Order: sequence, then C-alpha cells, then structure tokens
Amino acid sequence: MAANEKKSIGIMGWVDSRFPVTDLLERHLSKYPAPTNLNFWYLFGFLMIIVLAMQILTGLWLMMNYTNTAEEAFSSVEYIMRDVEYGWLLRYLHAAGASAFFALIYLHMFRGMMYGSYQKPRELIWVAGWFTYVLLCAEGFTGYVLPWGQMSFWAAQVIISLLGSIPMVGEDLATWIRGDYLISGITLSRLFAFHVVLLPIMIIAVVFFHILALHEIGSNNPDGIDIKKHVDKDGVPLDSKPFYPYDITHDIYALGVFLLIFCTVVFFFPEGGGYVLEYVNFEPANPLSTPSHIVPSWYFTPFYAMLRAVDFALFGFTAKFLGFVCMAGGIAIFAALPWLDRSPVKSIRYKGVLSKGFLAAFVISFFVLGYLGAVPPSDVKNLLAKVFTVIYFSYFLLMPIYTRIETCKPVPERAPQH
Amino acid sequence: MKFILFLIFFISSSIQAASGELSCGSIECDEFSADTTNLSSLQDGLTTYMNYCYGCHSLKYSRYNRISKDLNIPIDMYQENLIFDGSKPGQLMNISMNSKDAVEWIGAKPPDLTLEARIRKPNWIYTYLRKFYPDDSRPYGVNNEVYYNVSMPHVLEDLQANLSETQFNEMIYNLTNFMVYVSDPSANERKRIGVYVLLFLLLFTSFAYLTYREFKKDLK
Repeated sequence: MAANEKKSIGIMGWVDSRFPVTDLLERHLSKYPAPTNLNFWYLFGFLMIIVLAMQILTGLWLMMNYTNTAEEAFSSVEYIMRDVEYGWLLRYLHAAGASAFFALIYLHMFRGMMYGSYQKPRELIWVAGWFTYVLLCAEGFTGYVLPWGQMSFWAAQVIISLLGSIPMVGEDLATWIRGDYLISGITLSRLFAFHVVLLPIMIIAVVFFHILALHEIGSNNPDGIDIKKHVDKDGVPLDSKPFYPYDITHDIYALGVFLLIFCTVVFFFPEGGGYVLEYVNFEPANPLSTPSHIVPSWYFTPFYAMLRAVDFALFGFTAKFLGFVCMAGGIAIFAALPWLDRSPVKSIRYKGVLSKGFLAAFVISFFVLGYLGAVPPSDVKNLLAKVFTVIYFSYFLLMPIYTRIETCKPVPERAPQH
Repeated sequence: MKFILFLIFFISSSIQAASGELSCGSIECDEFSADTTNLSSLQDGLTTYMNYCYGCHSLKYSRYNRISKDLNIPIDMYQENLIFDGSKPGQLMNISMNSKDAVEWIGAKPPDLTLEARIRKPNWIYTYLRKFYPDDSRPYGVNNEVYYNVSMPHVLEDLQANLSETQFNEMIYNLTNFMVYVSDPSANERKRIGVYVLLFLLLFTSFAYLTYREFKKDLK
C-alpha cells in the first residue's frame, strides 16, 4: 500500500488513481518477469511487433498514392515507384516486410513447437498466435493481388477458384467472394478493402490478445520448466529477470542484426531473387494470357505443394477439392497441437528420441514441400510431394501416440545456470 | 544448426530452380552485367531507343524529364533532339501508334518496354537483340534464336550490316543498359542511400551489442 500512496503524487499519480497506467506498464513491460534461460529463439516476437508497425506505416503512405481499380492499379504502383518521393522505398519496405513477417512467424512457430510453448496453460496463447498466422496469410494474399500484375491476377484466379471446388455451394461461394464471374476490378477493390481495413484491425486485435494472455500466464522457456514454482518474498520468480533492462537490450541488439539483413535486401536486392517481388508480376494483369508457370509467394509454397500433391479423386470428391482440404488442413492442424501433444514434458530437450525425430522430419518436409511448391511439377516431384505431405501430417497425427510411448528425461526444478 | 543447414539447402535449391526457367529460348544467354552509373552508356542507349524502338514501344510509366534529369542531359537539348511529337517534358512517354493499326501492320501489339528488363533478365534482352537470322518463311524475312517466330522485324538490320561486330555489340550493350535503368530508375539512389543505412546500422548494432553484453554481466 505504501508504494501506491507514493505514486499518487504529481501528474502520473493523478492519472494512476483513475487509470493504473504505471502498474499496467510495469506488469506488461518494464517489470515483466522473463525467464533467465531465454535464448535466440525468443527474439522473433519482438521483431514481429516492429515489422507489424512498419507494415502499417508504409502501408498507410502507399495507400495515399495507390488506386484500387483494375485500370489504374498497376500504373499507380509504378507512379509510386517513380514519381512519389521515396515511393520506391515505401514499396520495397512493404514488400520485403511481408516476406520478413512470414520468415519471422515461421521461426516463432517453430520455437513454440520445439519448446512445447503451446502446452497447458498456454493453449489460448498458441491458438491466438495460430489465428494471427491465418489472418496474416489472408493479408499476404490480398496484398499480393493489389499491384495487379500477371501473377497477382492469376494467383487470385487459382486461389479463389479453389473455393469453387467445394461440393454443392462452391461455385456460388467463389462468385460471391469475387463479386463477379471472373476476377475483375470488383474483386480487386474488395480485396483492397480487406487488406487495408478489415484484416489489419483483426490482426492488431488478435496480437493484442496474444501478448496480453502471454503476460498474464508468463513466458515458457527452452527447458519448459515452470518458473513460478520458486518465487521470492515479493512473488517474483527466482529464475526470472525484469524485461527492462535485461530483455529489451537483447531485443534491440537483435533488431540491429535483423535490420542489417532486412535493409541489405531492401536496398541492394529488392526483388529478393524473384521471391520478394516476382519477375512476372512486373507485367500488367492480362486475363487473356496465362503465365506458363503460376506460383504463389514463397511463404505459401509448402501448402501449394500439398494442394498439387493430391491428384486423385476419392469418395466422390474431386482431386481439386481434396487438395484444397489437404492444403487448408496443413494450416489448420497447427491449432490442434496443444491437444495432440500428450507428453509429460514441454521442451524438446527432455522429450524422447521419437519426438526429436518427428520434429526433424517435419522441418525437412516443410522445406522440401516449400521447394516443390515453387518449381514446375513433374512425376518424380509429385511423388516426392505426396511422400512429404504424409510425413508433414504424421508429425501431427501420430503425436498422441509417440509422445505417450517414448521415455522422457527428467526436467530440472530450476533453470540451468549458464 | 541442423535448421540452418536446411535453410541453406532450401535457398540454394530454390535459386537453382528459379534460374533454370529463364534461359534464352533455343540457346544459352550471353553474359550481361549492367552498369547504370555509366551515364554515357545510358545516354547512347537512350538515343538508340528513341530512334529505333520508340516508334512502336512506349515507355509509358516513365517521364521525359525524369530521364533527362537522371542521365544528366539538359532539358532543352533533350526536348530539341529526343522528343519528336511536341510532348511536354513532364509527360509520360506514350506513343501515337494505336493497337488496332499495330495488329494490322505487324500482327501483334508491340509491348510497352518500361519494365521489360525486370520481366525478362537483361542478358535475355542483350542476347535477343543480337540473335536475328534470315528466314524467308517469316513475313519480315527474319527469325530469332532467342524468341522463335517473333513478330518483331529486325529493326537494327542496317546497323548490324554497317557496324563492326564489336561496335554493334557495344550499341546493344548500351541499349540494354538503358532498359535496365528505365525499369528501375531509383536503383542508383537506392544503392547510394543503402550504403549509409548499413553503415549506420553497423554502428547501431555494435552499441546495442555492447549494451546487451554489459547488462548480461549482471545476471551471472
């Protein structure tokens, strides 16, 4: 109580007695107890917040000069690139920012999978994070369509036509989403509205919940131990350090390293070898000429490979529909992780050899599928895609079995001292 | 560590895959290394472009005065010698040929070339422009090794006949170099700023590292 009385002096005191800002900031930022054993893998959440802020700011300025009509969209992007002061910088930052966001979220998700961060009591944090990823996929897709280049148009054509494969309602649903019988200016302007209003608001809201929930429950750590079991007389975990200054200095150092890599791409390789900005997309959308090889952005290629891997009809469903289900399943199944993992321990450090093997197989399959989704299909590649799709799903679907039968190592009571 | 190895494997295999599809039609592309800081090369390329290409191929996302500024050509001189239709220097570089006429005369609408060097690789353009050969079965009596049965006539035929091979190659080099410039006119400025950005970030990261290391000592 003495501490509270002290704070009630001055302007902050006046504010705090009406809305406890100081307490809120201390709990969520400056005094947030972060485990002492956090490592490299715990930097990506912070970096994503920075990238999110950058995407919102660059997006805002891009929007001031972009025209969302089929006739003007492509040339308005070139107008930004040529006639708007530093427009090229805004656009390259925004395009490379999208790729960076996905690279970071994949690393962040992998961290969670490696250290069992999704396990009890962090299921909701994980599900909120997964939902952010789904929203980000939608944001990435809608943003990709806006420059109205050849690949924008044809990728939209492929993705939206997938909905048409849903039995009974598919065609009507696809038409409803497109707002037209074909991808057209109507589709473009509604995707624009989603991209700049609906999805960013949803992303910010879900991210807010994700961080709030994390700070209430507390961070997991590479050893998966519960640091709240051993606390000092003020209730602060012994194996923790305050976010300020110990974590923030680590995060800012990481931000420097990240920006070095990111700005090297933005200023010296803005096309990212065709992965940040695809070469075909420098050609305006032409509904009469299909590109020889339609590929999605690199961050969707693992799921695109799954879609193409299913080339057989089954139980009266078309191959296209089954492929769509497989692709959507590949994304959706992450949400089920907290209930698939039956292991008594959280971290891969103390899990058995089966968990380690399956996680390694999952990572390999993710990269191989990512590669296969980016290259033109062939018979051999299609077979490989099938094999690795099975491996990808087996990590999840066999998890209730292999996490139960393997022998785990004992988890230490306290965080190991480095 | 395993993860990083996968990453390297993934990136290298993807780059291989990406480069595989961009060969030069029936042949391998010739080497081409753009130098958009070489202004005399860009000026020569611009002259060739305006005299031989611009009749059919617009540069509709670019403006006359932007090129004049970037290539260090005084705007009066530019207007006198390189603007043929009385356009104002601030206008976009559109051409007067309409697509209906173009289809009647050539069989296809000549594409706008502002972004051509970004759609196709510069070495494709450099090779394509030098690989026309006589073929009587084609309407203009020429065919191309890089782009089989292309509708475009060999516009530079007279030049190729009158110039030595070295001179002709140099002219095409300059023309391609200009197309690389016009596809991304901010590239020089971008790289210039980029150097300062990276130097600042190196400094920033060094101090950030030292701060991090200092606080880390407390935890031991």
